[in-house]
Amino acid sequence: MNHKLLESLFDRVEKPARYTGGELNQIVKTDAPVKFALCFPDVYEIGMSHLGSRILYNIINQRSDALCERVFAPWPDMEALLRENGLGTFSLETHRDLREFDIVGFSFLYEMGYTNLLTMLELSGIPFYAKDRGEAMPLVISGGPCACNSEPVAPFLDAVLIGDGEELIGEFLDVYLCEKKKGVSKHALLLALSKIEGVYVPAFYEPQYAPDGMFSHMDKLEKEAPDRPKRRVLKNLDAAKYIGNPIVPFMPIVHDRLALELFRGCTRGCRFCQAGFIYRPIRERKKETLMEHARSLVSCTGYDEISLFSLSTGDYSEIHQLVPEIIDEFKQQRVSVSLPSLRIDSFLKDNLEQMQSVRKAGLTLAPEAGTQRLRDVINKCVTEEDLLRSVGDAFEAGWTGLKLYFMIGLPTETDEDILGIADLAKKVVNVYYSLPKEKRGKGFRVSVSASSFVPKPFTPFQWEAQNEKEELMRKQQLLRNALRSIRGVEFSYHAPDISILEAVFARGDRRLAPLLVAAYRNGARFDSWDEHFKLSAWNAAFTSCGLDPAFYAHRQRNEDEALPWGHIDMIVTDKYLKAENSRAHKEQLTRDCRDGCNGCFGECYADYCKV
Amino acid sequence: MSHLDVQRLFQRAFRRAEIPVAYSQGFNPHPVLAFATALSVGFTSSAEWLDVRLENEIDSDQFMKRVNEALPSGFRVLEAVFADDTVAALSALMCAANYTVSFLCAVNDAALQTAIDSLLGGEIIVNKHTKGGMKDVDLRPKLYRLVFDKPGKLLITGEVSAQGSLGVDLLMEALFARLGEEYPYAVHRSALYSKDGLIMPRFG
Repeated sequence: MNHKLLESLFDRVEKPARYTGGELNQIVKTDAPVKFALCFPDVYEIGMSHLGSRILYNIINQRSDALCERVFAPWPDMEALLRENGLGTFSLETHRDLREFDIVGFSFLYEMGYTNLLTMLELSGIPFYAKDRGEAMPLVISGGPCACNSEPVAPFLDAVLIGDGEELIGEFLDVYLCEKKKGVSKHALLLALSKIEGVYVPAFYEPQYAPDGMFSHMDKLEKEAPDRPKRRVLKNLDAAKYIGNPIVPFMPIVHDRLALELFRGCTRGCRFCQAGFIYRPIRERKKETLMEHARSLVSCTGYDEISLFSLSTGDYSEIHQLVPEIIDEFKQQRVSVSLPSLRIDSFLKDNLEQMQSVRKAGLTLAPEAGTQRLRDVINKCVTEEDLLRSVGDAFEAGWTGLKLYFMIGLPTETDEDILGIADLAKKVVNVYYSLPKEKRGKGFRVSVSASSFVPKPFTPFQWEAQNEKEELMRKQQLLRNALRSIRGVEFSYHAPDISILEAVFARGDRRLAPLLVAAYRNGARFDSWDEHFKLSAWNAAFTSCGLDPAFYAHRQRNEDEALPWGHIDMIVTDKYLKAENSRAHKEQLTRDCRDGCNGCFGECYADYCKV
Repeated sequence: MSHLDVQRLFQRAFRRAEIPVAYSQGFNPHPVLAFATALSVGFTSSAEWLDVRLENEIDSDQFMKRVNEALPSGFRVLEAVFADDTVAALSALMCAANYTVSFLCAVNDAALQTAIDSLLGGEIIVNKHTKGGMKDVDLRPKLYRLVFDKPGKLLITGEVSAQGSLGVDLLMEALFARLGEEYPYAVHRSALYSKDGLIMPRFG
């Protein structure tokens, strides 16, 4: 890499701090036996906000035999300059070319990052398809929630790391180093890696399709590879390494605060929520451990905000002790505490008041559906009464702004459910105006946001059809009209195109890989960004590849149908997901598994969960 | 880095260094911390001045040592002075600054000298973004000095005050217009002055 030339480009792009590196707590090593590029297929501001990458960065760099550097997708202005100057994708720490690394690992948190994978590989001259990469090329691997169905990108990847990475990454590097020392071929290396629990080597499995185009089954090509690659589960989160001394960016990032991960997994079982199923079982950190993390994080970063992070923070078993303790300890240093992803029924009036004493943070609640019937279908065990009581508490505590998240296009949804969203918003508004004037703050605003439902693999809704574009748009307009007359309410929603594409890739198969390449060639980049999303590039790609998005997104799947991700063992059983789907259609709730085991792991892995 | 980014960087460094920074009263308390003036994005500097109010007095050498240990590389406190409440804010004290402009490629010194002489000889009218839209302004009253320092380097002294400051990029634009050619350049602020020598060095 020509460093001088590269650095001369920084002045010519928007937000040079995306590329310069050099932030506080960055770890720079010149060389190591294994060089790992920790890639995030989006810009710096997004990638630096990803907790998982922060954890891996710390764990890999703590090893003396490895170095880990960050690589983000170049924004289109930088991509153009890199191409013009014949430069590759580069790391922030040492401006090393992606090709000079031994392992290039991507975190996929959302499907719409896939085209950026192609950009990042191509700039550095790394062939897209794993089969086209020779022995000298780096291993290209992936991880993150999308790893549970990697099939659309499987042909590009040498290995996929499924599940918790804390222990898995260390074992992966150990085996890598050991096999490399022996001087084995890439095939032998991958075979050795495939024996680690949590590693999936796509080349060892070949999908078969029926003449009618339906996926039929997966053939295993390598005898020694596992029949069903299995998700890795970290058993002791409390003892696991965390983010060490995290990097403090020069520029603002999306989550510009300290994240304290209270627990992993969630016991609620909302049926649309992939995270709720693929991160099971629940594993908590002890309050003392969290306080220790908080102290060390504040003192090594100087951040003024700590966010209590997890899938459902209010469910943390020691939340009533932790919140006051942490607020109290950091009050002197003017460090505030925020609680994202609050579940409505776990609302804590006292804690609200304490949060208020430090700094006013935004409040977001996610009822997800507008009627009790539909909330029962999705197993969102929240009643209207809970919600209204909670917002009442919040308004009395001085909150004047509130965000309400909903989904539209959920299974069994009718227009009544859509109008129910508006009814609920109206009731929330009435709660505010029914408070005496002196008890409520000024400048009241409720923002209602409705996203389009995307059925995800390994959820009880993995067989469900996504609403078609016209239907989603009709429902959006129906809701928009119903909300129009309500005082203080703002409505936000997005064109459904991105959600539909997300649905295609979430439940896609390997036939989508050439489609990705075609869309990329047509100019698709940063597809999760409205300003870059290019529908025409995708439409042309579907046509040229002879594929129909409706086959993947809008088709109701039969429960007996073979699923392209069916060979991955995500621990939660297929039987359980089917049972949950059936309960959903009967509008039956399933209890929180803290209140009693529902048997989601089946007999085989029952001991994985000690709740 | 934007001015806001730099302010946040110092806030965080002060917290790491456990400096007892005072906070404003009111609805949304914020640290009492203000630079004399913002530095344009992309400029470097060895002469930024920052007012910070503390809850209690600490030894200025201790202050410097602790803050410097906490600052990321590229940032350093060179001097720290205690000022009591009778001293006005730095932004009210400052009056002028020195800049060094370094050309990043070979330049025609003779032609540049002719253009400089022409600029200094009369009004320097440039088109400037203001709140009321684009407006013609004369930079000449704000420009105190413009000379060749060394080959390839210009030394500029100009007004920096609440009443208005010399825009170095605007001046360079005017210079290139006279020259009929543009060169890439980097700007470094090397001094910030006060009228009466309070805190910052005396101007003139």
